[in-house]
Amino acid sequence: MMHSSRLTRRSVIKGGLGLALATTALTTLGLPMPARAAGKKVIIGAFADGGLTPFKEKIIPLAKEQGFDIQFLEDEYGVTLEKWFADAQSGAGQYDLYLLDDPWVPQFGAANVLEDLGAGGIDGSDKDWIGAMIDMGYWPPQKGPRVKGFENAKPTLICVPFVGDLQTLTYRNDVFTGGAPKTWDEVIAKGKEGVAAGKIKYPVVFRGVSGNPIVTSWYPVFLSFGGSFFDDKWNPIFNSAEGKASADFFVGTMKQNAPSGVVEFDSDQEGAAILGGEAGAIIQYSGNALKADDPAQTKVAGKLDFGVVPKQEKAIAQMGIFIAGVPKSAPNKANSIEFLKWYVSAETQAKLSEAGSIPVKRNAFGIAKPGNRLIPVALQQLDAGALPRPRTPDWAKVEELLGIELNKALQAGSGGGAALDTAAKQVKDYLTTAGYY
Amino acid sequence: MQTGMQARKYRLQGAGLDLALPYLMLAPGLTIVLGVLVYPLWDGLRASTRAYRYGSPVSHVGFRNYVQLWSDAQFLNSLWVTVKFVALSVSIEAVLGFALALFCLHEFRGIRLLRTVLIIPMVITPVVVAILFRLIYASDAGMLTALSEAMGGGGVQILGNPLNAFIGLVVLDVWEWTPLMFLILLAGLQSLPHEPFEAARVDGAGSWRVFADLTFPMMRPVLAVAIVLRTIDAFGTFDQVFVLTRGGPGEATRLISIYGYDTAFKFQQTGYAAALFVTIGLVVLALAFSAIRLLRRIDAS
Repeated sequence: MMHSSRLTRRSVIKGGLGLALATTALTTLGLPMPARAAGKKVIIGAFADGGLTPFKEKIIPLAKEQGFDIQFLEDEYGVTLEKWFADAQSGAGQYDLYLLDDPWVPQFGAANVLEDLGAGGIDGSDKDWIGAMIDMGYWPPQKGPRVKGFENAKPTLICVPFVGDLQTLTYRNDVFTGGAPKTWDEVIAKGKEGVAAGKIKYPVVFRGVSGNPIVTSWYPVFLSFGGSFFDDKWNPIFNSAEGKASADFFVGTMKQNAPSGVVEFDSDQEGAAILGGEAGAIIQYSGNALKADDPAQTKVAGKLDFGVVPKQEKAIAQMGIFIAGVPKSAPNKANSIEFLKWYVSAETQAKLSEAGSIPVKRNAFGIAKPGNRLIPVALQQLDAGALPRPRTPDWAKVEELLGIELNKALQAGSGGGAALDTAAKQVKDYLTTAGYY
Repeated sequence: MQTGMQARKYRLQGAGLDLALPYLMLAPGLTIVLGVLVYPLWDGLRASTRAYRYGSPVSHVGFRNYVQLWSDAQFLNSLWVTVKFVALSVSIEAVLGFALALFCLHEFRGIRLLRTVLIIPMVITPVVVAILFRLIYASDAGMLTALSEAMGGGGVQILGNPLNAFIGLVVLDVWEWTPLMFLILLAGLQSLPHEPFEAARVDGAGSWRVFADLTFPMMRPVLAVAIVLRTIDAFGTFDQVFVLTRGGPGEATRLISIYGYDTAFKFQQTGYAAALFVTIGLVVLALAFSAIRLLRRIDAS
């Protein structure tokens, strides 16, 4: 008998059904089994940063003891803003809590995608908060200029400070033997002596990469020279005489006294230079500073000390705190708010301080044994002066425009003032298009 | 009577199913195409005619976003950088790929291994390639600096210098994508008929004559297809720049894809970014059509 291999309708349908069943079965078998919840689940999104190490290592285990099932999802800094904003806006519900960089709060606030934490029972008026930090959690801001459309809106607490990070000075105590240098001139002069003595290779190191990194490094210099960024009508005034002097100093003197490749340096290269013993001083956030006493992470353990940022007119640092917001689409909203209440309690803040992280409540700075000697210096810096970046939802664009021009001037090694003029015009044009005036 | 009617009914059912079956079988594929291709395109076009604020559409602006592009210095700079990058890298890849394909056409001991080794860069994930090149280029601890210092020189500045960073990016792209050119052109060379070449040899033609009068003219259609494919692909280069330079220093390596990404996702100007990508899509489409027309003309001649 001859076997027919003709393709019939029946065989196609049977084959199709079989294929569909097989695919379904394989897909089902291939999917990971959902983990059994071990408690009150909270999915935290964070960007990778050494400033969160104490939280990860010491506080998450404590949270688990309190019955929270913490899922900690980390991403690279450069992609988190867009990733989380898309998540919040589309209502995808992939996170319960974002640990935002504080300048992002206005963008999330203006888009109205975060929960009202005050309504959730978190007390923003608690006197124990560091005032400048809790202020950053409100949208629109309680103080300072407001963008159009939000002039008369009631400030709402949409974020709470999570790690009170701010810039401080890290310096080599064998180069700056008289303690923390008080002025930028002293940083350079004593640093040069350190280079001549063969103790270090460069007096300073900083981040020169275009965009957020270079602006973050320039900002404390700008503030210390007495600069202001916007007036109360959102006109850029960072190209004032003080601002230009700071930019010229930054791209000129500071570059000449920094590693030759500083134009391409970001926090990893900057950290390697100070922890590797090559640089004399650096203004930085806590991420690398927390490694200063660990011989496994630095070649100069015991030789790094902390101080208030140097001044030209004022010793003002930039604040850049981790700040927590709960998206409206969070799948475990109630758990997140409960977690935050526990986290900002006096007891947990004291534990955070013991763990070595900069707390967000004043009492926690005063505990008997803070886990890191950076903590009291951070409080000194807060008292000396620390300012957040302007509270505008368009900060990312402003920072980009300014960062490109500063980076070009840094490549040239001169023309900082002219770079600020160009950037100020671009910022003004952009904000005009965005309807600021 | 009833049996006859039943038979007719079954026949009709069969005919109906026969008519409907092709459409039924097309339906899933068509739905997917509509869902993942046509709808996003339509949505992108719609978005490009809107103004967005804080991530949400606030008004219809017609073609204003498209008009605004041509007075946006950052867009024009990104476009210029992209055109330079595509022209330079694709040209080098075509020449190198052709040379390698000609070389690998010969059979000798180890040729199979060599052909395999040559296509390795192409199969590595672009992000990994960018990280590798970052380790080579970094001025503080990169391989080039280490080599230079070992020879008594100083740090090598690649990523901190606009021209060097641009060249560095082109080198990365050439390293990664020359294998694609090589592969396409090698396949083309292997499919050429042997007779004209044998005849030319019998007539005493030298290698250069054979290449200029036979190989190159016969390979022109394949070469054109390879160049068109790579050009379209190179216009969309993103991962390598994102990891290696993020568009810097300054704006020296800010390709249009990076500017579009930042505009859409970082600065939340969704409508403007949509207009930008539609414009670039049209430019690439025009390039592809021109290349295809050129190809037809070559075929006809």
